[in-house]
Amino acid sequence: MTTEASPPTAQAGPRALAWQRRRRAAARFWRQYHTHRAGLVGLAALALFALVALTAPLTVGSDVAGVTDAPGRPMESPSAEFPLGTDRFGRNLLGLLVWGSRVSLLVGLLAAVLSVVIGALVGITAGHYRGTYATVIMRVTDWFLVMPALVLAIALATVLPRSLGTVILAIGVTSWPTTARLVRAQTLAVESRPYIERAKALGAGHVHIMTRHVLPNVMPLVLAQTTLMVSASILTEATLAFLGLGDPTVVSWGGMLQDAREAGAVSSGDWWYLVPPGIAIAGVALTFTLCGRAVEAVLNPRLGVAR
Amino acid sequence: MSSQDHHGRGRTGPRIPRPRTLRLVAAGVGALALTAALATPLSPAPQQAAADDGKKVLTVAVAQSIDSLSPFLASRLVSTSILRLTYEFLNNYDAKDAHAVPGLATEWKPSADKLTWTYKIRSDATWSDGKKVTAEDAAWTFNKMMTDPNAATANGSFVGNFRKVTAPSPTELVIELDKPQATMTALDVPIVPKHVWEKVGDFSKFNNDKDFPVVGNGPYILTDYEPDSFVRLEANKEFWRGAPKFDELVFKYYKDGDAAVAALQKGEVSFVSNLTPAQADSLEGQENIEVNDAPGRRFLALAVNPGARAKDGERFGDGHESLLDQRVRQALFLAVDRETLIDKVYQGHAVEGEGYIPPRFSTYYWKPSADQKLAHDPAEAARLLDAAGYKKNGDGKRVGKDGKPITYRVLCHATEPNDKAIGQYLKEWWGDLGIGMDLQCLDNVSDPWLAGTYDLAFDGWSVNPDPDFVLSIHTCAALPATREDTGATDNFICDEKYDDLYDRQLAEYDPAKRAGLVKQAVSRLYDTGYMNVVAYPNAMEAYRTDQIASITTMPEDAGNIFGQDGYWSWWSAVPADSGGSSDGGGSAGVITGVAVGVVLLAGVGGFLAMRRRATAEDRE
Amino acid sequence: MTADAASAPADGTAGPAPAPAAAPTVRGPRARTWAGYLRYGAGKVGGAAVSLFAVLVTSFFLFRLIPGDPVKTMTGGRPVSAEQLAALRREFGLDLPLWQQFTDYCGKALTGDLGTSYQFRAPVTEKIADALPNTLLLTGTAFVLYTALGIVIGTRTAWRRGRLGDRLNTGLALTLYSLPSFWLGLLLIIVFSVGMGPVPGLFPTGGMESGGEEGFAHVLDVAHHLVLPVLTLVAVEYGQTLLVTRSALLDETGSDYLTTARAKGLRDDLVRRRHAVPNALLPTVTLIFVNLGRTVAGVILVETVFSWPGLGGLFYQALSVPDLPLVQGLFLFFASAVIIMNTVADLVYPLLDPRVGR
Repeated sequence: MTTEASPPTAQAGPRALAWQRRRRAAARFWRQYHTHRAGLVGLAALALFALVALTAPLTVGSDVAGVTDAPGRPMESPSAEFPLGTDRFGRNLLGLLVWGSRVSLLVGLLAAVLSVVIGALVGITAGHYRGTYATVIMRVTDWFLVMPALVLAIALATVLPRSLGTVILAIGVTSWPTTARLVRAQTLAVESRPYIERAKALGAGHVHIMTRHVLPNVMPLVLAQTTLMVSASILTEATLAFLGLGDPTVVSWGGMLQDAREAGAVSSGDWWYLVPPGIAIAGVALTFTLCGRAVEAVLNPRLGVAR
Repeated sequence: MSSQDHHGRGRTGPRIPRPRTLRLVAAGVGALALTAALATPLSPAPQQAAADDGKKVLTVAVAQSIDSLSPFLASRLVSTSILRLTYEFLNNYDAKDAHAVPGLATEWKPSADKLTWTYKIRSDATWSDGKKVTAEDAAWTFNKMMTDPNAATANGSFVGNFRKVTAPSPTELVIELDKPQATMTALDVPIVPKHVWEKVGDFSKFNNDKDFPVVGNGPYILTDYEPDSFVRLEANKEFWRGAPKFDELVFKYYKDGDAAVAALQKGEVSFVSNLTPAQADSLEGQENIEVNDAPGRRFLALAVNPGARAKDGERFGDGHESLLDQRVRQALFLAVDRETLIDKVYQGHAVEGEGYIPPRFSTYYWKPSADQKLAHDPAEAARLLDAAGYKKNGDGKRVGKDGKPITYRVLCHATEPNDKAIGQYLKEWWGDLGIGMDLQCLDNVSDPWLAGTYDLAFDGWSVNPDPDFVLSIHTCAALPATREDTGATDNFICDEKYDDLYDRQLAEYDPAKRAGLVKQAVSRLYDTGYMNVVAYPNAMEAYRTDQIASITTMPEDAGNIFGQDGYWSWWSAVPADSGGSSDGGGSAGVITGVAVGVVLLAGVGGFLAMRRRATAEDRE
Repeated sequence: MTADAASAPADGTAGPAPAPAAAPTVRGPRARTWAGYLRYGAGKVGGAAVSLFAVLVTSFFLFRLIPGDPVKTMTGGRPVSAEQLAALRREFGLDLPLWQQFTDYCGKALTGDLGTSYQFRAPVTEKIADALPNTLLLTGTAFVLYTALGIVIGTRTAWRRGRLGDRLNTGLALTLYSLPSFWLGLLLIIVFSVGMGPVPGLFPTGGMESGGEEGFAHVLDVAHHLVLPVLTLVAVEYGQTLLVTRSALLDETGSDYLTTARAKGLRDDLVRRRHAVPNALLPTVTLIFVNLGRTVAGVILVETVFSWPGLGGLFYQALSVPDLPLVQGLFLFFASAVIIMNTVADLVYPLLDPRVGR
C-alpha cells in the first residue's frame, strides 16, 4: 500500500503518525476485503478451523491419540458412540480428525512462514543491494525455482530423520523462490520512490531502509503470499505423510490417510476412514486459498480475481 | 506485478486464422471419451476374453519390483518365486510336510565319512530348447558360483562349504564337502542350462531379461517381461512332473495393495497375497472369492543390539549399555502384551510369538515351558528393572548408569505397517515402565543395522523347511571378520552355548536327533532375550474360485500359496470351467450402455459448443 | 496475473507454480530485431546451461548426504567380505576421492552415461528410457486436456465475469485444485474401478496394460487404463490454467483496443476470439511450457496410486533403497525437463509477443 500517499495531517510524533497511517490502511483494507464474498466465507471457515484446532485439548484431549487404551474395536463403522467409526487401533476417528487438525495446521503454518520468511529475506535484500549480490542470489532463486519442488522435498525428507521438523524444513526450503521474486519486484518498486532517496540523503543505513521503509510496504504482499503458501504447505504435508515420509507416531490428516491406505480401507469400503481426512485437507487448503485470493484482489484491484 | 504494461495495447494479436481451439478441444475430449468407451467393453474380464482363444490364464497380483531375473543375482521374493517356476532345483520339498522329495535329483546319499554326496540326476528332463538336462549343467552351475564371486551374489552361501563338484556321467553329480553339512537336500539353487549361460560374460551385469523365451526346465517358461508392468510365463508342456493345467501364468503389477484387492473383486486378477486384516475380513464371504488365512512361515521379533562387534574382537556401534543386562532385555519383553497385539494389530490373523521357529514347522517347533515363559507381566518387568539398578527418577523416568533418562531407539521398516503399529503400542507400554522410546522408521534399515547404531529393531525372517539358515545367522561364526566386512549375522549375537548346539545339529544326519538339538538351540536363544518373537503373522491371501477351481497350499492342510518353498501352488492350480461368464456377459451389457452414454454426452457437449457459436453469430 | 497464478496450490504437491515468477524474466530485454532476439536467446540458453550444471552438482552432492555406505546398501546386508566390498567400491568408482568421483560423474553425464543402477544392475539411462514413454503418455495426454480445458473455460468465464457460470466454474476449479491428487485418485478407484452402488466398475484398477493384446486391441487396452489417471491429473491441474487465463483476459477486457474494436461494430464473439484471447494467451504460454516440465515431475503420486510403470514410481522406489545412481539420474532428468521447458518458453515468448517488431 502506498504509505507515502497519505500526507501527515496531525501534529504528532513520526511514530504515532506511522501508526495512524497503518491503522487507516488496515481499515481501508478491511473495507475492501469486506466486499469479497468468497474471501469472507474463507475467513469464517478459517476461524472455524482455528477454533477447532485450538480447543482440541478441551474437546477431545490428547488421550484420543493413545493406542493402548483405545475405546473401540479396530475398524468399526460409524455409530452413535463413534460418529466416524474407529481406526485400525480402535481409536475414535472423529476425535483423531479434530486432534490431527493441530498438526496439519501447525505444519502448514510453520512451513509457510519459513518459506515466506526466506523468500522475503532473499527478495528484500536482492532488491535492495543491487549488483553482484543481487545477480548471484537471483540466479540461485531462479535455479531453486526450476527445481521440481516435490521431488526435492521428497529427497530432503528421505535424507533427514523422520520428524515434524523435517517435514516443515523440506516444505519451507523448497517453496520460497516464488515469494522471493514477488517481494524483489515490490522492493524495486518501493525503492524507486522519491522518499527513499530522501531517507538515504538523511543518512539512513541499509538496515533502516529495509526494515523501516521497504518491509512495511511489502508486508501486505507477504501476508497474501503466506496465506496462499499455507494451503500449498498443507497439501505437501499430506503428500509427504501419504508417501510414508512423516513421523508415524504423530496424528495428522495426511498420516491418517496413509494409515487408512495401509490398513486396506480403500478396498474394504471403509469410506469413513478415508473420506473425512481428505475433505478436511481440501477444506483447509481451499479456505486459505480463498482468503489469499481476496487479500490479493484488494491489494491489486486490477486482477479482479475473486469477484 | 510489474507486468501489466506488457500486454499489447492498440495492436491486435498475431493473425491467428479463426481460432478453432474450441472445436479442437471438443474433438479432443470427445476422442478420449470415445477411446475410453471403445476400450471399455474389452475389459470386464480379461480371463474370459482370453478364454475365447482357448487359453487359460492365471493372473497373480504382485507389488514388489523384480531386482533381476538372473538366478545368480535375484534375491527378492517375487524374483526367486518366478525363478523357482522356471528352473528346477536338485530337490523339492513335499507339499505335505516339507520333507525332501526328488527334483532334478531322483536319489541322493552321503558317503560314510559324511563328506561326499552323490546325486542321481533324472534323464527325463529337457530344457525348453529341446536339449537334455544333464548332471553337467548342475556341476557347471555350482562350479560357476564357487569360482566367480559375481555369480555367488544370490546363492553363494550354499556352496561355502563345497570343496569340489563334478559330473562323472550325465546322470551322476558328486559334491565333496569340507565338513559335514545336514542341509544337502535343501540346496535351493536354480540349476541353469550350461550351453546358454556359459556364453554370459559378466555375471554381475547380466539380468537374463533380454532374450525371450528364457531357456528353462521348470513347470513354466518365462516368455515376456515388462518392468513394473507384468511378467508372463507359459506352461511347459514337456515338464517331467506333468504340464500345469493353466496355459499361462501372468504376474501383474499393482503397486497399491488396495488396487490389487479391487482388481481381484473385479476379476482382473485371480490371486492376491499380503492382505491386511481389514481386506481379508471384507473379502471373506464375498461371492466367488476364497480367502486363504493360513499359518505363516514368518516371525516378527524384537531384536536387541547386544553390542555390535566383529570376529577380530573390535566393538562398534552405540547400542545402549543397559541392554547388555539380561534382566533389562527380559523386562522389556515382559511389558509387551502380545495377546493385545494379536487381537488389535493383527485382528486375530496371527499366532502369539514364543520360540524362534513358527509352529507350522512342527518338526522343529519349540515353545517355552510355563516357568520359562516371559508372559505379559508389567509389575515383574518393573521389579527386574529396579533390581538391575535402573530406578525411576523424580519425573518417573528410569535413568541409565550415566545418569540420563533411558530412551531406546527402535528401528522399524517404513514399508511395514505392522512395525509402525506395534511400535506405537511399545511406546506407550514402555512409557508406563518409565522408559522412553524413539521409533525410527526407515525405508532402508540396513545402514544403521550393519553399523550397530540402534538399540532395538523390528526383525522378521521367513523360515525355510530346513531351519539351518535362520539358526546360522545368530552364531559367532556369522559375525563380520572385521568391522569393514559385512557378516551373515542378523544382530551380532554371539553365545558359546548356542554355537555349540548349532554346530552339533549341522553335523547330525539323523533327523530326530537333529530336531532335538535344534529345539535346544531355540530354547537357549529364547532365554538370552536377544531375539524376542512377538508374533507369527498369518499368510493372508485370496483367490477367485470362478477362475481357480483348486490350488495346493503348503503345507497341504493349512498353508500358504504365494512364496512357497516349492512350485506346488502354480503347478497344481486347476482352472475353473468358465464360471464367471454369465456375470461377464451381464456387466458387458451394462458397460456397453454406459459407453453409449459417454458417447452421447460427448456428442451433446460438442453440439452445445457449436450452438453457442451459432447464437453468438445470430446476435450480430 | 502474476500473483493470481501463485495462488495455485499446484497439484497438491509442489507448492505454487513457478510460472508467474518465470514470466517476468522474459520481459526485460527488448528483442526488437532478429539480432536482438538472437542475443537474448543466447543469454537464455546460457542461463539454462548454468542451471543445468547447478542441477548436476546438486544431484551429485544432495544424495551423498544420505548416511551410510552405498556398497553395504548395495549388497543388502548379505555377507560380503571386505575385499568384495572394496572390489564393488572400485567398480562403482566409490574408492576415489570425492572431487574425482564428481568430475567422473560430470564427464560421464555429458556423454549420456548416468552410471549403473545398484538395485537393477542396469544402466540408469536404460531404466529411464524404459519408463519415460509411459510417463510421457500419461502426462502428455493429461497436459493436452487440462491446458485446453483451462483455456477454454478460462476465456468463457472471464468474458461472462461475475455471472453464475463464472462463479460456479471458478469455485469448482478452486475446489478441485485444493484436493490432494492421491486422495482423488483413490476415490476414483473406489467409485469407477471397484464400482459403487449403481456405478459398475468400468475401468481397470491400475497398471498400464493387461498384457497379451496386439495391435489396435493393445492401443485400446492402454487407452482404457489411461482414463482414470488422466482424469485425476486433469481435475487437479486444469484449475491453474483456467485461473491464469481468466485473470489475463480480465486484464485485457478494459483495454482501449477492445473498445475500439467494438466501436468498429465487430461482433462480441469476434472481439473476444480475434483480439482479446490471443493477447491474453501470452502469459498463459509461459505457464503451459512450465507446466509441461513440472507435470513430468509431479506425477509421482498419481503413478503410485494407479501403479503406472513410469518415472515417478521409479524415483520413489530408487529413493527407498537408496539407489544413488538411479536417484541422481532421475533427479537430473526431472530438473532438466523443467529447465529446458522454461527455456523454450523464454525463447518462444518474444516470438509471440505482438510488440516485438520484426
